[in-house]
Amino acid sequence: MSLKSQYTDLKASFSAQPPDLAKCGRLLTQLKLGLIQAGLLLPHGDANPEDLIVAREILEIGAFWSIRTQDVPSFDRYFSQLQAFYVDYATLPPSKHEYAVRGLHLIRLLTQNRIADFHTALESLPAAVVENPYIAHPVNLERWLMEGSYAKVWGARAEAPAAEYGYFVDSLMGTIRNEIASCEETAYESLPLKDAATLLFFTSQRDLLVFAEQRGWEVNLSLGTITFAKKGEETMDIPKEKIIAASLLYARELEQIV
Amino acid sequence: MPDIEMKAADKADKKDKKDEKDDKKKEEKKEEPPKPPPTPVQDIKYNVVLIERAVAALEPRFAHRSLRTLTALRKRLDDVVLRNAVEEIFVKDTPTKQSLLSWLPEAPPPPAAAAMEVDSAAAAPKPLAGPEPVPEVDMYLRLLMMHHFETSPSTYAKAIDLAHQTVEKMQALNRRSMDPIAAKIWYALERAYELGSELADARPLFLAAQRTASLRHDDETQASLINRLLRSYLHYNLYDQADKLVSKTTFPASAGNPQFARYHYYLGRIKVVQLNYSAAHTNLQQAIRRAPAATIAPGFYQAVHKLFVVVELLMGDIPDRGLFRHPVLEKALTPYFDIVKAVRTGSLSQFQATLARHAAHFEADRTFTLIVRLRQNVIKTGIRRLSLSYSRISLRDICVKLHLDSEEDAEYIVGKAIRDGVIDGRIVHEKGWMECGGQKGGYGPEVGEVFERRIGYCLELHNQSVKAMRYPLNAHRKELAAAEGAREREKELAKEIQEGDLDDDEMGGEF
Repeated sequence: MSLKSQYTDLKASFSAQPPDLAKCGRLLTQLKLGLIQAGLLLPHGDANPEDLIVAREILEIGAFWSIRTQDVPSFDRYFSQLQAFYVDYATLPPSKHEYAVRGLHLIRLLTQNRIADFHTALESLPAAVVENPYIAHPVNLERWLMEGSYAKVWGARAEAPAAEYGYFVDSLMGTIRNEIASCEETAYESLPLKDAATLLFFTSQRDLLVFAEQRGWEVNLSLGTITFAKKGEETMDIPKEKIIAASLLYARELEQIV
Repeated sequence: MPDIEMKAADKADKKDKKDEKDDKKKEEKKEEPPKPPPTPVQDIKYNVVLIERAVAALEPRFAHRSLRTLTALRKRLDDVVLRNAVEEIFVKDTPTKQSLLSWLPEAPPPPAAAAMEVDSAAAAPKPLAGPEPVPEVDMYLRLLMMHHFETSPSTYAKAIDLAHQTVEKMQALNRRSMDPIAAKIWYALERAYELGSELADARPLFLAAQRTASLRHDDETQASLINRLLRSYLHYNLYDQADKLVSKTTFPASAGNPQFARYHYYLGRIKVVQLNYSAAHTNLQQAIRRAPAATIAPGFYQAVHKLFVVVELLMGDIPDRGLFRHPVLEKALTPYFDIVKAVRTGSLSQFQATLARHAAHFEADRTFTLIVRLRQNVIKTGIRRLSLSYSRISLRDICVKLHLDSEEDAEYIVGKAIRDGVIDGRIVHEKGWMECGGQKGGYGPEVGEVFERRIGYCLELHNQSVKAMRYPLNAHRKELAAAEGAREREKELAKEIQEGDLDDDEMGGEF
């Protein structure tokens, strides 16, 4: 059976050091075709458990592979296909990669700031898995992000439980920097360049200057400070039209009642 | 002047109606506990009469009334009661009767004899509805039997079998007058599956039935089934699917309050997981308002309030203290009360301690993950308290007071709080302190907005209650007839007066 040999081939080339990503991609495409022909890509009904396990493993490798090749939409596709195996075929022996894949999915939601989806996904997992290192990592990240302990998020970069998590770090750091920058804009009047760099986790001043230009900050190089544009004092306008409309509405409703 | 009269008349009218309603209620209540409480069999028979009336008059109200006693009734059911009820209601030996009886275990001889006596005593003077009771009655009895089987684990399997057979029969009959009972039967089916812990297996059945019900505009059943499905999804934490179901279906507006209460509760649960706290708050509030009184359904009341307290906390509000003194809620909400206290004081260590102490409890209530989210609220409350009491405070002190891990964290956290509008102030980085701005005046446009929201709510309530009023069909005919009579009488009176005038004249002449 060619499917079988391709599967072992894929496994071998993925676990090789360093993995042959181009070859894996080719094999995955062929394997997916094979799975569709065997009716295993989107299984329904009673399929042979062993076949299902193989199909699941292929998709899991596919998910990891898409992350390594930095192809996030492809990861999303693999994840939603895997979801069917994890949820509908819960009777299968649990996969040892399941939580790694799920954790990656959580991190991915986090980097896109899709917090509502993050919590929905988290809620659908049993409470005990929070102990699992793969899941605990994104959960902690989310908590720190929400309360504003950005330094901890920065510190946790190195603690990723699997190599694949590293691929999301960069975009996560981008999210954090933007968060911090928007906090600084409101919380400070001005900041010394050096401190701003530490707050934003920039190691070189050049990066900081580029970033400051993107956000439209005033940089005073001679004094070495950044001044944040002050938002104009909010004007206390009385919303006349709104009040008139509301009063008319009350009058009409009252008329109907009495 | 005439205006006022009209109003007075209106009022009198309304009062009359109210009185009527009250009378009706009283009547019902009287029927519930008369001097010697009626035996369950009598209750069942009374309900059967109501159902027959409902079918005959095409008036689902009567069927609803008979189903209202279901909760109280199902606690008093047993094999003998059911057997007697079947015997008495089905006078003749028919296949329906046989199939009903086949579900019940053989009655032991002595009670059967007693039943026979009752039978001859009670059924003889009141021959029930001629030849064969309507199929709705059959369904009602099956419903009672299901509820009875669900009381003991040994008969769960039987309950599922019976439920399946009943549903098949019900769908084959396809009678609109059966809808109120059908809705209840679906509930019993779900309960049977849940007790047998095979809830997931029932889902395809519900989905298919839901489709049929929505095609037939069977609102009762549809409402019941949507709730069944939501419950099943939420039971297995499938929030995604539940959310999709909600977005793809419209909950029938004519559904009864209990179904609405459930629906709002499930919606609230979905919304709170998605961090949509204000929507969740509205839904839960609706659920609380529509739920039956706390003493009748304490379980639901407690469950909703548990979630409600958490949602209020997540929104940054502190729930009313009176809530925790409510007799029904006091005990159930104790762990939540502790959490509220911790959040209110903004003490992170107290919060963590409380969370650890009650973790098992929260997990059982499925609120654990929500409560974990409160951590950031605790910090915010803490910062807010500090900003109110100090005009300038060093980051180091904030760190110590809020039990934060490092000064660096404190700076970020305070910065975030300022950006999120929790506090008004700024950070002076060089000196390492936070300067707090003054209080804002409380008379901005936002006051108007709050007022608008409240008025809007009151108007909505009024409109809803106007819509909810029910008038009996053809009742105005009677009034018309009465008016007709009055007019005639008036005419007669006028005639008499005319004649009387003459009389008077004559009499006047005489005097």
